[in-house]
Amino acid sequence: MKVSLDWLKRYLNLDDAADRLEQIFPLIGFDLEEVIRCGLSPLDKVVVGEVTAIAKHPGADKLSVCEVRISSRGKPQSIVCGASNFKTGDRVPVALPGAKLPGGAEIGRSKIRGIDSDGMMCSPSELGLGEEHEGLLILDGKPEIGTPIHEVFPGQDCVYDLDVTPNRPDCLSHIGIARELAAYLRIDFSYPKTNPRPDGPSAKQPLIEGLSVETPENCPHYLAYSIKGVKIGPSPDWLQSLLKAVGLRPINNVVDVTNFVLHELGQPLHAFDAKKIRGSRIIVRAARKGETITTLDDKKRVLDSEMTVIADAERALVIGGVMGSIDAEVDEGTTDIVLESAYFNPGNIRRTSRRLALSTDSSYRFERGVDPLGAEFAALRAIDLIIETTGGELAGPPLVEGKPPLRKVEIKLIPDYVRGVLGFPVDDLEIREVLEALQLKVSVHDEGRKKKSWSVSVPSFRGDLDRPIDLVEEFLRIYGCDKIPSSTVSMPGLLSNDDPVAIFNREMSAYLVGQHFHECKHYSMRAEAESRQWFSNSTADSLALDNPLTSEQTHLRASLLPGLLDAIKLNQSHRNNPRRLFECGHVFREHGGEVWEMVSAGFVLAQGPESQEWLAREAPDFFTALNFVNNLLSLAGVAAENMSYLPVRDIQPWQNGHAARAEVFEDGYEVELGLLDHSILKAWDIEGAVLAGAIYLSPEFLKRPAERKRYMPFSPFPSSTKDIALVVDSDTLSEQVRRDLQDNARKAAGKSFAVESVSVFDVYTGEGLPEGKKSIAFSLIFRAPNRTLTDTEVNKVFAKIQKGITSGTGYEVRS
Amino acid sequence: MEDTLKSILEQARTDVDGVRTRAQLEAFKAGLLGPNGSFTGVLKSIGGLPAKQRPAAGKLVNEVKQQIEALLDQARERIEKAEAAAQLGPPVDPTLPSPDGGPGTCHLLTRVCEEICTIFHKAGFVVAEGSEVETEYYCFDALNTPPDHPARDLHDTYYLPASVRFGNISKKREERYILRTHTSSVQIRTMLQQPPPLSIISPGRCFRRDTADATHSANFHQVEGLFVDRHVTVKDLRAILDYFVHQIFGKGARTRLRPSFFPFTEPSFEMDFNSPNLGKLSDRWIEIMGCGMVDPVVFEEVGYDPEQWTGYAFGMGIERIAMILHGIDDIRHFYQNDLRFLRQFA
Repeated sequence: MKVSLDWLKRYLNLDDAADRLEQIFPLIGFDLEEVIRCGLSPLDKVVVGEVTAIAKHPGADKLSVCEVRISSRGKPQSIVCGASNFKTGDRVPVALPGAKLPGGAEIGRSKIRGIDSDGMMCSPSELGLGEEHEGLLILDGKPEIGTPIHEVFPGQDCVYDLDVTPNRPDCLSHIGIARELAAYLRIDFSYPKTNPRPDGPSAKQPLIEGLSVETPENCPHYLAYSIKGVKIGPSPDWLQSLLKAVGLRPINNVVDVTNFVLHELGQPLHAFDAKKIRGSRIIVRAARKGETITTLDDKKRVLDSEMTVIADAERALVIGGVMGSIDAEVDEGTTDIVLESAYFNPGNIRRTSRRLALSTDSSYRFERGVDPLGAEFAALRAIDLIIETTGGELAGPPLVEGKPPLRKVEIKLIPDYVRGVLGFPVDDLEIREVLEALQLKVSVHDEGRKKKSWSVSVPSFRGDLDRPIDLVEEFLRIYGCDKIPSSTVSMPGLLSNDDPVAIFNREMSAYLVGQHFHECKHYSMRAEAESRQWFSNSTADSLALDNPLTSEQTHLRASLLPGLLDAIKLNQSHRNNPRRLFECGHVFREHGGEVWEMVSAGFVLAQGPESQEWLAREAPDFFTALNFVNNLLSLAGVAAENMSYLPVRDIQPWQNGHAARAEVFEDGYEVELGLLDHSILKAWDIEGAVLAGAIYLSPEFLKRPAERKRYMPFSPFPSSTKDIALVVDSDTLSEQVRRDLQDNARKAAGKSFAVESVSVFDVYTGEGLPEGKKSIAFSLIFRAPNRTLTDTEVNKVFAKIQKGITSGTGYEVRS
Repeated sequence: MEDTLKSILEQARTDVDGVRTRAQLEAFKAGLLGPNGSFTGVLKSIGGLPAKQRPAAGKLVNEVKQQIEALLDQARERIEKAEAAAQLGPPVDPTLPSPDGGPGTCHLLTRVCEEICTIFHKAGFVVAEGSEVETEYYCFDALNTPPDHPARDLHDTYYLPASVRFGNISKKREERYILRTHTSSVQIRTMLQQPPPLSIISPGRCFRRDTADATHSANFHQVEGLFVDRHVTVKDLRAILDYFVHQIFGKGARTRLRPSFFPFTEPSFEMDFNSPNLGKLSDRWIEIMGCGMVDPVVFEEVGYDPEQWTGYAFGMGIERIAMILHGIDDIRHFYQNDLRFLRQFA
């Protein structure tokens, strides 16, 4: 919200504080978005000059020596200048010797690197007209040479664009800000004076016959004043300039006055052209479903039955508290007006404003809550100004419906409570003075007893205060947050450990960084087309956002891999030679019709375009990725030997025959890895093959209680090893064969000794084997807990295994 | 005999230099100590000497044998060294680059987040995690921000369709799912699960429906802290934040609190800091976080007795801290993942 210094000065004397307001506003809770300075105060010896010649300074590269004319006759001044944004013929402000600039600098005749300078040409910041300090202020419109500079910038003012937090609707006006400054600076301030108006019977009759409010819950208080004989025209200069200062466009005297009062007191008003009110009635009612109205911004709006309208006998004239319609607008032909001042229910205004996507100065204040007692005062203030500026007269008493929705708030406050929250000592008197400076009334009870308690009464405009803690905040705000003392931290010890998810993420990152990977971070939202390319339509549908902002970010990510492909693409096109990238983050997996938020790590190994290395290394392959995946899983406590990987077929983004996945979703995790499909790489325009892997774990899985491992005794005796090669169908998975062999071996060994491991050590296809077959060679390790195994007993069991494994399995022992 | 031994030794000393391989060594050894070796021949002749001369001759023979064996040992060692050297290949040029990947890197946001968490960890805060998809209740209502509250204007929120069901994110009632706008929702869920006192820090990804530019990102990261105990004061809040600022920005940094407004804290503040060594940003007040004393209404909502329990909360943007710390001028760098950016913060 914009407040003008000139405007504020109408209510309090800021002569001593004007320079400090920029610093003060943030300290009392109003963030300063911007300070706009306009106009200049009278400045002696600063005039408009014209640059007539520019020459290089003989002793300094960055300086020039200029001739500047400051009167139509007389000889030009010679001025040394460091700026370079001007040319001959430009008119600029010139500070002559003896001038005193707003920043405090005094200008004298000087020698700069040996050249005389008869003054200084000024930048905007040197005149206090903005931040720009590098270049000169070049004056537009060729102002007369020799004109005092303040005549070129008349109407000195300073406008502060303040951020008013949503809890402070009382500060959405100049009077509200003046009240705050008065409290902080402990100076007096005064409300504008209004003339008393008759509210009893009078000779004149109101311009309308009736007022009724059908929805008092949404409009508990409504006042309508009649003013006759107004002469519509432009507002006086003072009014126009104040409105312009806060960014409003003057329209006509009546509208300007209502806008002025809104920004002065925070109470929105509405003026109707009385002749346009049909049926001589004003009715505050719920809009009819589908009722339409064309608002002052020339848009046709369709209303619903929860919205409140101000209507005449025939049609809606105003969306109550939000915006008027063109139907009852005050225009040049208006002679009689009805002035509305009312209180609207904040929640109702907010819903209306949201639903219509229409926020106005009026709705902004009503939805936050205007002073419930303020309607009448604001109306009287506006009437004075309308009569003053239009020459009209008040006609009869106001029509009134309802009464101010006032709630009386008294807060019981114990001064010790204030000190308890603050944690440092402050005097009762200090607390009381601050509260009173904020217009709160403090009455002290039980003065004699040990626990003093106060009763604090809250003025009507402070709807945000109703608990003792609210008063602590108010006290501290005005007392000064800078007075909170420094101290050292005193905390109890750590009583628990970091969340397992955090620990796991840390371990995953550390592992992958140790394997030469670079961590990336991508947005969690991806484009719809991509989601449909990677996942089934039903999965993609379940990931859609309801209100995306851009078409590139419409769906939640179900995988970290697309982002990593973006990173490969970007880095390949920047020739950064990307090789190993990873990301850790949350992804959203669809399973059984529900979406699950999972912790994930994804990585890519990009081959890239052939790069020449002086020493060749073997390229990574599927089993490189498998190793990374297994090691990541082991960080989550999942042993590689418990994983059952299956080849993937026709599942994006994977290459058939070169990728695998394992899913134990019910237990809480999923894994996928392998070569990315050619079509995916083409879609991303990536050069070279890309291996990828991803693991997904539910937070619940990571948070499962840790099991403490029990020691397993092991044998001190040597093991005995036997090798066997089995010929099987090419498409048989080795793990299947291995398990069959292991089961078989365990059965054969029985209780006599243990089959410690069965592991693959060679896979062979080609010469010597039939078409469609492969040979897998296994090592079997046997061991007994209590003795060294003899060849005889091992051979006996091994013979049994050789026989057993071939019967009924289709496997053959390769001789 | 003595002369013979001497000449055998002389000869051996000369010949040993020519021994280059294990085979040559074996032949050389056989020529001396083998059954037909020259030394063996002398040894055999001792038996033919008069008994009186034998001890002296034996002593001499032993001495020479030791010297021969020493020669053989030297030769063996030399050969082994040569063999090992042959296996090693030519000497390396240590100025050549390794063809294996250089160091991996943690993303700067991860590093800064960890740094922040570590600082608070030392002060007794533990990390609490939560989901990025949240419900309106945990993100707003429980934090004293009901649907009609104007403070909801502060958040422009992404919503999920009403029909979507989440398997592992619980709802309070029938409220909508959203993408969390802050990690304060983690505080609510933690307080609902654990009795006071507690001190947690919740880092994580948050979302605002915001058009991306140099300082805004629809995705961003936050760290929020919450401390609940008896008799927690505004002074304690200032102490922990001063500690944090001094740890991360150095002892020279100054801080100030300014009044502000958040629905879930009262009193509420913005914290600014000012540091002499920040390049362009030196000696300016820079806003870095919002904070305040937990509003009693929030305690009531999670079932903590506000008469007994007090606390403070604070929250800051990780991107913002990282940008200030490292002089980064555009938030989009964090999400573009150009290796020239990532590698700078190894």
